[in-house]
Amino acid sequence: MATIDFLLDIFDANRTGEAIVWRDRVFSFGWLAEAVRDWRRRLQDDGLVRSGSVVSLEADFSPQAISLLLALVEHRCIIVPLTTSVEARKPEFSEVAEVEAVVRIGDGDEVHVEPTTRTARHPLLRQLQEAGRPGLVLFSSGSTGKSKAALHDFGPLLEKFTVPRRRLRAMGFLLFDHIGGVNTLLYTLSNAGCVVTVPQRLPETVCAAIARWQVELLPTSPTFLNLVLLSEAYRRHDLSSLKLITYGTEVMLESTLRRMREVLPGVELLQTYGLSELGILRSKSKSSDSLWMKIGGEGFETRVVDGLLEIKARSAMLGYLNAPSPFTADGWFRTGDAVAVDGEYVHILGRRSEIINVGGEKVYPAEVESAIQLMEGVSEVVATGEKNAITGEVVTARVKLETGETVAEFRRRMRAFCEGRLARFKIPQKVVLVTDDLRSERFKKLRHEQVS
Amino acid sequence: MSADLVRLIVDAVQEQCEGRGSTVAAADLGPETPLLGRAGVLDSLGLVTLVVALEQTLEDEYGVSVSLADERALSERKSPFRTIGTLADYAERLIDGARQRA
Repeated sequence: MATIDFLLDIFDANRTGEAIVWRDRVFSFGWLAEAVRDWRRRLQDDGLVRSGSVVSLEADFSPQAISLLLALVEHRCIIVPLTTSVEARKPEFSEVAEVEAVVRIGDGDEVHVEPTTRTARHPLLRQLQEAGRPGLVLFSSGSTGKSKAALHDFGPLLEKFTVPRRRLRAMGFLLFDHIGGVNTLLYTLSNAGCVVTVPQRLPETVCAAIARWQVELLPTSPTFLNLVLLSEAYRRHDLSSLKLITYGTEVMLESTLRRMREVLPGVELLQTYGLSELGILRSKSKSSDSLWMKIGGEGFETRVVDGLLEIKARSAMLGYLNAPSPFTADGWFRTGDAVAVDGEYVHILGRRSEIINVGGEKVYPAEVESAIQLMEGVSEVVATGEKNAITGEVVTARVKLETGETVAEFRRRMRAFCEGRLARFKIPQKVVLVTDDLRSERFKKLRHEQVS
Repeated sequence: MSADLVRLIVDAVQEQCEGRGSTVAAADLGPETPLLGRAGVLDSLGLVTLVVALEQTLEDEYGVSVSLADERALSERKSPFRTIGTLADYAERLIDGARQRA
């Protein structure tokens, strides 16, 4: 039975230790233990939220968000973390996850609880509820433009943290509704380390917090590391406390890795590999300047089929709430990631799909195309990803126009038009005007052919 | 440093800021304007969009195809993206290099 008792034991044994830094205030493990117990009492005795309900937790890392997350696990709730990064899609996500109660944490860390009128009916949700087990719903990207909701039993996710590992002061950089963010949080607290939170994920803010709070572990993305290099924020802040930088979620350029090694020679760089559907695998880079790594660890098996990575995980999700099962009959998950293999090491080459990855943010071509298609004078549009050294990829729109505008004129009009319709990272960074048709005879978009 | 390149970059930065609803007078922008960092006017998406737009303009106006943000730019000991001026210098070096090869 999943329980957070082992965490509370660790908190109690380290009562004076620093657990969370939030808005330049330090919260001890003693504070955290009390806060979790207090919420547990209120959830149970005051009937704030029915045990077993599907609860959305709308928050960024904060003392109350962390206490509530743990108390909700203990209360056998199925937790759906949502952050402001998915603000526009919250109604859709709440609908898909069949959220029965909303817990929202405001800017001042005040807590609002509100029941919804829904009752969860999805068989997988019911299955967890009836078994009296806590759950976690994480939204992942799907190739069709619809985010997929991965439902986990919280038990197996927690289990791996019962093994003690290195105690580190970690940056809460990855978001709360991301498998990497959940992993950082549980890893850090279960080893009596400290989670340092930041109000914004900008190079200057993050580097200043690393210096001020002596952060040792920075879990981040290759794009953010590029920004740290380009902004030279590392020159203005003393980053000597850093011991380990982990990066995942997108493809890393060798040049970035090399430069990071020069700038922060004492810091170990470790690639991680995790998926919303499976949890985070244990990984070991061949060396700090290598993109080759061993992945797996206890509870994970890997194999490569037709150049694509497949994983069998004990902590695998139960299934999607809004898509068919992606597992093979014998329980292997097809990641869709193309890999090269060298002995026991693998090198992740990228996703074999059309999703465009702008700095770790996923962009679906269809969404971009349907927005631009609405513009006056646009007869056809195709959005594709194009390689870029800073953000991995940029969105390129190939547009057939009837207006005779120049690229610069159209770009300006397009940006104004897309503002408010598309998230900023989805607005094409590059525009190419074309004269030929962008469709094949079958009326399929010509995504891969070079259209000029 | 080429005044034309500085002007191109100033225009592109202005277009960026406009897109984000903030207005910056062209007169306030010059070679010393920091692009990134504490006092910088751009964030990551702004930078990428600026760079891509600039590459397109250089191709249109100078007839040269250069890559301003590639592995080479990221490996430079001093970042070319510190200020409008350093970016103009870097672009000039790339344009000269591309012309010599042509």
